[in-house]
Amino acid sequence: MGAGTGYPSETKGCVMKKEINYLTFIVAGIRNKPGRNLATVFCFAFIAANIFSGQYLIAGAMGSVNQGITRMGADYIVAPVQYSVFLRGSGPENTFAIVTAFPSVWRVNNNIMDTLGKVQGVSGMSPQLYVSTLNLPALSSSPVDVFGIDPTTDFTIQPWLRQPLKHPLDPGEIIVGHQINGEISSKIQVSNHAYTIAGRLDPTQSAVDNTVFLRLDDAYTLAATEGIIHPSAPHISPGDINAVLVRIVPGENPDTVGASIRRSFPRTQITVIGRHFTLDPVSQDIEGLPFLLNSISVIIVVAAFPLIALIAAMVAHERQREIGLLKSMGAKRNVIFSLVIAESLFLAAIGGIVGVVVSLITFNILNTQGILNSVLQVSFRMPTMAETGLMAGVALIVVIAIGSIASLYPAYRSSRMNPYDAIRGEE
Amino acid sequence: MIKVSGVTKTFRTGSLEIQAVDDVHLAVQPREFILIFGRSGSGKSTLLGMLAGLIRPTNGEIRINGVDIGNLSDDKISELRAKEIGFVFQFSGLLPTVTVLENVLVPTLFCKNSPGSRSRALELLKKVGVSERADAYPRTLSSGEMKRVAIARALINGPSLLIADEPTGDLDVDTEYEIMELFRQLNCEGTTIVMVTHNPDLIHYGTQTYCMDRGKMVKRPESSSFNKWEPGPDTHLKPKDVS
Repeated sequence: MGAGTGYPSETKGCVMKKEINYLTFIVAGIRNKPGRNLATVFCFAFIAANIFSGQYLIAGAMGSVNQGITRMGADYIVAPVQYSVFLRGSGPENTFAIVTAFPSVWRVNNNIMDTLGKVQGVSGMSPQLYVSTLNLPALSSSPVDVFGIDPTTDFTIQPWLRQPLKHPLDPGEIIVGHQINGEISSKIQVSNHAYTIAGRLDPTQSAVDNTVFLRLDDAYTLAATEGIIHPSAPHISPGDINAVLVRIVPGENPDTVGASIRRSFPRTQITVIGRHFTLDPVSQDIEGLPFLLNSISVIIVVAAFPLIALIAAMVAHERQREIGLLKSMGAKRNVIFSLVIAESLFLAAIGGIVGVVVSLITFNILNTQGILNSVLQVSFRMPTMAETGLMAGVALIVVIAIGSIASLYPAYRSSRMNPYDAIRGEE
Repeated sequence: MIKVSGVTKTFRTGSLEIQAVDDVHLAVQPREFILIFGRSGSGKSTLLGMLAGLIRPTNGEIRINGVDIGNLSDDKISELRAKEIGFVFQFSGLLPTVTVLENVLVPTLFCKNSPGSRSRALELLKKVGVSERADAYPRTLSSGEMKRVAIARALINGPSLLIADEPTGDLDVDTEYEIMELFRQLNCEGTTIVMVTHNPDLIHYGTQTYCMDRGKMVKRPESSSFNKWEPGPDTHLKPKDVS
């Protein structure tokens, strides 16, 4: 074809490095209208924040419920038959999750666990021994209950730990309730025995808060110490326990399993007490929360969608001449289409990130102040990093999808625009 | 190089039909500097738009290097424009959001085998006399500078055809002269130019000159009587006049 421009540097037909790219173009376009684009970013941020916050609240609240379920303790407590006398009419403990046996001096031998383990529907069991209630002013202004537990089978105490133990509870180590004084790793003295605090429990709003838990073998040793057990109380021998806390296989009918346990022992030997599934009303309270928050998210997304589409259409119209010029320079339809979509995606991504970050900061502040707990009326458990990342990703994907779908039609219109009409449109 | 045969363009606005270009015949050979004169509304810009593939003719045929561009897809025409045609608009046509240098480089994005590079863009800017404004934004340029940048941009992909739609329409006399001298230089260096203007004083720049009146291409008058010339019914150019 023609002779060309004849410049010395002309190398027609030879591919050389392009020194401008589409990103330059998109960023320049966005920078050109800071006010409008800030408003667009705000819209996207609002949507992202809403989606993220909704999911975050749901995850936090559900996390609390799940944690509560793991802390519900035993499904049944199997104790000496006299134990029911103490439980009956015992107030809040009777309606609270079974975490510990009630302090009592009636004991059975731990060989009942051999029988219990054979009962169909029993998935776990752990013995507990009430040692004594001691006045230990260094630990608490109130009398302190001392219990022995088997840390390897325990499933009722350790779920309440504020921080997981660094290693299984060793001899000489104890777990303390919320109201017991002393930092982790600090030493305490009970009679002439020294113990190290290995773990501290979250508040349970029960007598557990004022309890010290030690290994069963340590409990037997402590019980043998003079002055620990009341002189009128029966002597504690190795193998004595106050109760066995029992967990049933999920899905099994608790009543059936309870009846099986009862049938496995003489009526005069043990009593089987079931819990009252006390967290169920709590989970019912927040059951409607996901639906409510998801509904709000959907409404906001649906309401924001036309707004985003309108903004995208306005932007495309405003840049009509620019689009015409690009086409006159040889830009193909797909290039124009991609440019319009890319700009929208860029704004959506920025808005999405801003929305998620602002929400996270807000949640952290609210959680630190305890506002979330009081508003939700459940203990709000901050989701993990992985959960947070997943929710942030979902919010970003949704916002980017909204941005791209909303700009599809304007992008299509722009790509099909007659360049001559587009260029002369404003003249 | 370019063969225009019986091209017509009719615009329809509701029930109103406007014949912007009416049975135009034109032949452009390589290295020619074609000047098309005509009053406003005579159809000059529409004809240029069709030559550049920006407007599809209602009837007739436009061949560039033997290819009927009327039969090309939108993308194929875009490809052809990117590679072979540089377009200079009456208005500056610069993109306000990027610098002068980036403006010049923009067409390289759309041309697969573009020779365009930063050094070539700077060379072109130097050629048109605005290299010192390479990093400036268009809003800071004068009209003449904008036009020069637009010319540099039109040349970045090394097109064989430069189409200019009244490129000096809004310039003062001195700047107009400088721009026209630049076009002359480009033409001397081998670029084929098709330019429309309503300024008869520029007639001496063209190697071929044509006139458009009410959508028709008419015979060129003598330059001395151009200003007083009125086209008559016998002046309409026929195919035999341009073959």
